[in-house]
Amino acid sequence: MKYDVRKVRNIGISAHIDAGKTTLTERILYYTRRIHTIHDVKGKDGVGATMDFMELEKERGITIASAATYCEWQDHEINIIDTPGHVDFTIEVERSLRVLDGGILVLCSVGGVQSQSITVDQQMARYKVPCIAFINKCDRSGANPFRVIDQLKEKLGHNAVTIHIPIGLEADFNGVVDLVAMKAIYFDGDNGEHVRIEDIPEDLFSEATQRREELIDEASMFSDELTEAALENKVTEDLLVQAIRKATLTREMTPVLMGSAYKNKGIQPILDAVTKLLPCPSDVENQALDPDSNDAPVTLFSDPEKPVVSLAFKLEDGPYGQLTYIRVYQGTLAKGCSIVNVRTGKKLKVGRVVRMHAHQMEDIEVMPAGYIGALFGIDCASGDTFVAPGIGLSMISMHVPDPVISLAIAPKDNKGEVNMAKALARFTKEDPTFKAYVSDETGDTIISGMGELHLEVYVERMRREYNAEVTTGMPRVAYRETITRMAEFDYIHKKQTGGAGQFGRVAGYMEPITEADFEFENKVTGGAIPTQFISSCEKGFKKCLTKGPKMEFPITGIKVVINDGASHSVDSSDMAFQAAARGAFLQGYARAKPVIHEPIMKVVVETPIEFQGPVMGSLNQRRGMIVGTQEEGRMSVIEVQVPLAEMFGYSTVLRSATQGMAQFTMEFATYRQVPKGITDELVKKAAEEKRNVA
Amino acid sequence: MLKNNLILRNPLRLTGHETEDIIPEGGFGAVLARAGVGKTAFLVQLALNSLLRDNKVLHVSLNDPVKKVCLWYEEVLRNIANQYNVKQIDQLWETILPNRFIMTFKVEGFSVPKLEERLTDLTEQDIFFPRMILVDGFPFDEIARKSLSDLKTLAQNNSIRVWFAVRTHRHEKPGIDGMPPPFLAVADLFEVALQLQPVEKEIRVRALKGETAPADHPVLILDPSTMLIKDKSGATSL
Repeated sequence: MKYDVRKVRNIGISAHIDAGKTTLTERILYYTRRIHTIHDVKGKDGVGATMDFMELEKERGITIASAATYCEWQDHEINIIDTPGHVDFTIEVERSLRVLDGGILVLCSVGGVQSQSITVDQQMARYKVPCIAFINKCDRSGANPFRVIDQLKEKLGHNAVTIHIPIGLEADFNGVVDLVAMKAIYFDGDNGEHVRIEDIPEDLFSEATQRREELIDEASMFSDELTEAALENKVTEDLLVQAIRKATLTREMTPVLMGSAYKNKGIQPILDAVTKLLPCPSDVENQALDPDSNDAPVTLFSDPEKPVVSLAFKLEDGPYGQLTYIRVYQGTLAKGCSIVNVRTGKKLKVGRVVRMHAHQMEDIEVMPAGYIGALFGIDCASGDTFVAPGIGLSMISMHVPDPVISLAIAPKDNKGEVNMAKALARFTKEDPTFKAYVSDETGDTIISGMGELHLEVYVERMRREYNAEVTTGMPRVAYRETITRMAEFDYIHKKQTGGAGQFGRVAGYMEPITEADFEFENKVTGGAIPTQFISSCEKGFKKCLTKGPKMEFPITGIKVVINDGASHSVDSSDMAFQAAARGAFLQGYARAKPVIHEPIMKVVVETPIEFQGPVMGSLNQRRGMIVGTQEEGRMSVIEVQVPLAEMFGYSTVLRSATQGMAQFTMEFATYRQVPKGITDELVKKAAEEKRNVA
Repeated sequence: MLKNNLILRNPLRLTGHETEDIIPEGGFGAVLARAGVGKTAFLVQLALNSLLRDNKVLHVSLNDPVKKVCLWYEEVLRNIANQYNVKQIDQLWETILPNRFIMTFKVEGFSVPKLEERLTDLTEQDIFFPRMILVDGFPFDEIARKSLSDLKTLAQNNSIRVWFAVRTHRHEKPGIDGMPPPFLAVADLFEVALQLQPVEKEIRVRALKGETAPADHPVLILDPSTMLIKDKSGATSL
């Protein structure tokens, strides 16, 4: 293994679902000779693309977990993280971008810039990842790469400049013209492995010349040398590449390439562009935080001799234990060296160091700064920083979005219960956006994540990888009961049915409060209730809170004050006063105008302006109260408060209402009274459930 | 009860207008002031005054994001609650919230046809029918007249009262009736124009156009510490 950081590229491939990322990665691996045959994503041979190694991915034709792989091209080492395209798996994209130095933004020449392209582009911008764009599927009917370039400019605000023009389009697509070298490139052989370079076809020459002029014009903004050369008509390929690279690294220009991954056309030029135009690790400034000096940023250097600083960006539990994907930012991680997990302060010894190629791995001795690899046998969580002993630096924490959807799951049998617990422990550790907990109120195991598909995938993974059969249901919304006005109670509990009798009288009032769930105040004077029974009363009231008399939902926001009572020297007891308090509670509660409260979520929908009307309509139908709309360029952000109970299945509704171009986030806002009509429905439903149980 | 009390105490009633809405349906009102004097706070109080009477209000902001506009409402309502020692502010807030809708645009992206389109989105689907629109941040430049005329038609067709915040500048000399130049050119479209004028330590509310209060009515001022409208005797808005 050679170590020249200038010849290392850590790149990600991001795009909208079905834009062809996995197919593109497969071709890249084929041309770099990491694999020897091409399997298509939904191929007839049943093998599936190499990067989609999970069973499920092969079946669905989508990439779920980002697999890291490595390949070589023109003496350069390229680490590729294949990232998922579906919006529900955004955390994977975010994590990958955190550790990458450059990206390939894959766009479909028919579909153009779609919603997920917008999301991944925003993510690339957040992590300042320079990128090149690849307009794929130029062979498809309706392909229009220049429209996509316009969209890149208008919708994403990129200074997109093409360095290719297609030779033919749709069914006639058979190569590209390279505007830098001013040559036509054709891809021959069964799998397009033979690159044939020829003169530009005559009919394309004038268009190529004109577009090259435009390219030079744009690139010369970033290079005085190029400007001078252009004036003297002495532009060399090298000068042009240098200028484009300079602009690309600062994200001031996005070079656009074209091709068709499926038809094996235009892939090798992408690899050339990756090596020529995208940054090496030392071109990128990475910063860590120093917790000792108030999280001051510290610049890291891609110097293998410096103390090591590295970030665990992904975990996977395999048959041989936990595999930790790691990126080294500074220094060298070597087999046998000691590192410290900054979060836990634990010192560890590095065991096996491997380089990943989808699910196969290759043992290596060292991993210097700028490299991506994996460690074995390291116990840590995703996002942990590992450093050399004595260095207290922590990598900037990754942006983790909050889960937006949850679902109740239950194992089908005993075996499933154990396996489900194991699976949940692993998944939650691997994926910070996936959470699992047991609901205090319903006792169900609830899983929450970034979307319905996200949760569905985990449920299927439980089944396949852990043999845990689970049933899923609609999560029960955590309704609550409360009272709306002050009410008095005066209750005597008296029982005289043989043996010791029971006697207790509790009087006072209850009132609504907002500051706490429950408050109890004793205003009894003159020993009307003996001191030793006051706590019995409180206990009795508290017991009533877990299940409200109205709908059996927990009761919150209530203050109970007792101010009078009576006792009997023989028949009064702890039990008698608890029972008296229960009776008093029921009496007062019925008079205090009880209502049901439901959780209200703050939902923020980001949609293209043209879909604003339908989106608002869909939210209105869900009892949403629209707080406001905010127009930002071509997008509109709608902020709305919607009852959680109405939000299940909304992602699907939103997708179909907006052609998949809108997204939403959801977080808890407050509890609010359920409207009368809905309360009646709930009462009816509860009664039905009771009947069914009976 | 609480709402009624607040409505009765509203010093805007003292502006001498027949209705508390000050302007007629389909009419235009303007609040003129220099930057930072309290135009938005004044508009928000006009909105709250309307919201408390269960009228729906659309707040269009061309300056601030939704979050900031919300903060204005929370702040003004909190000040009112403190002033009158209202304890159930949360309850009050919950009742008025469904009647308010905030729309924000970038100044350059705003146009009357666009607003009309958004409004149609809301009314056609039965989501929201505003009775009052507040426009904050509208540029009163040379080309404003066309937009304002269109908006007036829209307001008249839908019987909506529209209030604008008009920013004036220190260097601009007022024209006849004390109206500042950018507003003067479109003043005929407005039924009422109120100016917020800092006088020593207080901010006076002065009517530039429309009915003025009878002489025996107390002068309205804006309390600089809370930005609440008060009459000189101390009664606060709402």
